[in-house]
Amino acid sequence: MVQSKKIFCDITRCIACRTCEIACAVEHSITKDLFLGMLERPRPKKRAFVFFLERDVSRSTACQHCEEPPCMEACMSGCISKDEKTGKVDIDRSRCVGCWMCIMVCPFGIISRDITDKNKALKCDLCPDRESPACVDACPTKTLAYESRDEFLKRIKQAKKVYAHSHKK
Amino acid sequence: MPTHIKNNIYAIIGNSAAGLAAIESIRRVDQSSRIVNISNQPQRPYSRCLLSYYLAGQYDKDILWIRPEDYYKKYDTEVLLNTAVTGADIKNKTLEISGKKKISFDKLLIATGASAKFLNIKGADKKGVFVLRTLEDADGILRMLPNVKNACILGGGLIGLRAAYALKRRGVAVHVIVKSEHIFSQMLDAEAADIMRQHLEVNGIEISTGLEAAEISGKDSVDGVILDDGNRLDCQLIIIGKGVAANLGIVKGQVKADMGILADERLETDRKDIYAAGDAAQAYDVLEEKNNVNQIWPAAIRQGKIAGLNMAGEEIKYEGSYGTNSLDFFDLAVMSFGVVKPKGGGFEELIALDAKRRLYRKIVVKGERIVGGVLINDVERHGILLHLALQKIDISDIKDILADEYFDFGKVIPLIKRQTNLFIRPEYKDTCVTYSPLY
Repeated sequence: MVQSKKIFCDITRCIACRTCEIACAVEHSITKDLFLGMLERPRPKKRAFVFFLERDVSRSTACQHCEEPPCMEACMSGCISKDEKTGKVDIDRSRCVGCWMCIMVCPFGIISRDITDKNKALKCDLCPDRESPACVDACPTKTLAYESRDEFLKRIKQAKKVYAHSHKK
Repeated sequence: MPTHIKNNIYAIIGNSAAGLAAIESIRRVDQSSRIVNISNQPQRPYSRCLLSYYLAGQYDKDILWIRPEDYYKKYDTEVLLNTAVTGADIKNKTLEISGKKKISFDKLLIATGASAKFLNIKGADKKGVFVLRTLEDADGILRMLPNVKNACILGGGLIGLRAAYALKRRGVAVHVIVKSEHIFSQMLDAEAADIMRQHLEVNGIEISTGLEAAEISGKDSVDGVILDDGNRLDCQLIIIGKGVAANLGIVKGQVKADMGILADERLETDRKDIYAAGDAAQAYDVLEEKNNVNQIWPAAIRQGKIAGLNMAGEEIKYEGSYGTNSLDFFDLAVMSFGVVKPKGGGFEELIALDAKRRLYRKIVVKGERIVGGVLINDVERHGILLHLALQKIDISDIKDILADEYFDFGKVIPLIKRQTNLFIRPEYKDTCVTYSPLY
């Protein structure tokens, strides 16, 4: 089976600029423009979040599109599905009733309540209109990558060889 | 996954969460055997949990159908709707269904669910007294609504208050009568219950606690309810929300049962090849640390899924169940899990309250592990806490920030590094591959 792609984050490169968060909200706006998007109502919302692990150590985190998604098992309207081929976990907004059972069981806390837009659950949809998610394309330090787990691990291993000195304690 | 040609007959009684999840997981590993699904419901599968949303008029009936019309064809399953199982011979592996027909099986899943508890008081048989458990109940209430100005809800739990909310949205004046001192006495602690009560009252739902209905008055139809303090309330509709009880009738005396059918680590009962899942089952509760019935949707799906895989010959261990729930009334969300009102020693409660913004977080800790919690309003991080509890993570390093408003998944990542083996999901590891803490 081909490993599905998702968004991976290299914590060593994240400078907490929050460009990913902005790019996410803009991509999910109607105008797709940062400034005009500010005027839209309901206001465009981000699905990616910069979290701090320690002071000055951060990472961008969105839906992990879990192999066995707890949200899908908890959803009582059956509106969450996982695509067998792409691995993407999706919420069908037309069937979401805003019961928040998905939020209740998400191990990463990255599903939001879209209370200004019809009370639906909101999370990363991997930008269906784009080849690569907006946060990944916008990241100025190439912290984010859209790839398979194996590709990510291989790339990180190589990078560690090149920059070994920067990882010494 | 290797597929062997099997020649089993799987009988599954019940076509709600647990039954459906079992059908789907069996078909993942066994495409050749027969599956027979029997349900006493006349309709195709629907979600009971959404009945209050339908009753509220927030959504059309269409929202209830949780599986497509061609579902049974897609999963190559024979379905017997509107069919009661009238007898079960566990020893000879046969079921008797309405019309005296017999069905033999190799493996049986009892996913018969639960029924609403009724109230045995004088007048409870009058027209206008309902429970809210089936589509027929909801439609019956809806048919009455044009003639209802006042409704009484008996019970201050999840179903009672969801019903109250639904009727209020339909423009009915609602009065909720609660026997306990607090609403949500199963799901919330007193502090959280009071915040929710105030919110419901501000939004026009009347609530009386410490009272019970003594008698329902009226000729053929309900015209009021007499309370145990002698007062009388006028109402044309009564909904009883006194919880549910597992449907054990079919197998009574043949499999071991307590409040539900006792299911082991594989969701098998004490009789070989007989499995139980969902509201009818009782399994080990990892947060309460005892056998417990947890009659909630997520537990039913998980149990159905694992029971199905084990029936089809896999060896999958069930992680155990737990209690958790999520509610939303007039845009105020509340969630809880596990132990919310600790009894006995050894517990620590981490509490943060901001009454003005109606923010409340309580986390119950025992032996440096989370065993329960309650969140109001800012609920987005509930799942993080729940999974820390389920995986029995030592949280002593982050205890001082757990109840903090700014707590998020980032603060969990150092724990994943330190207690790697306890974090089971591969996605946890994905999040910290590039994290090299300086200690």
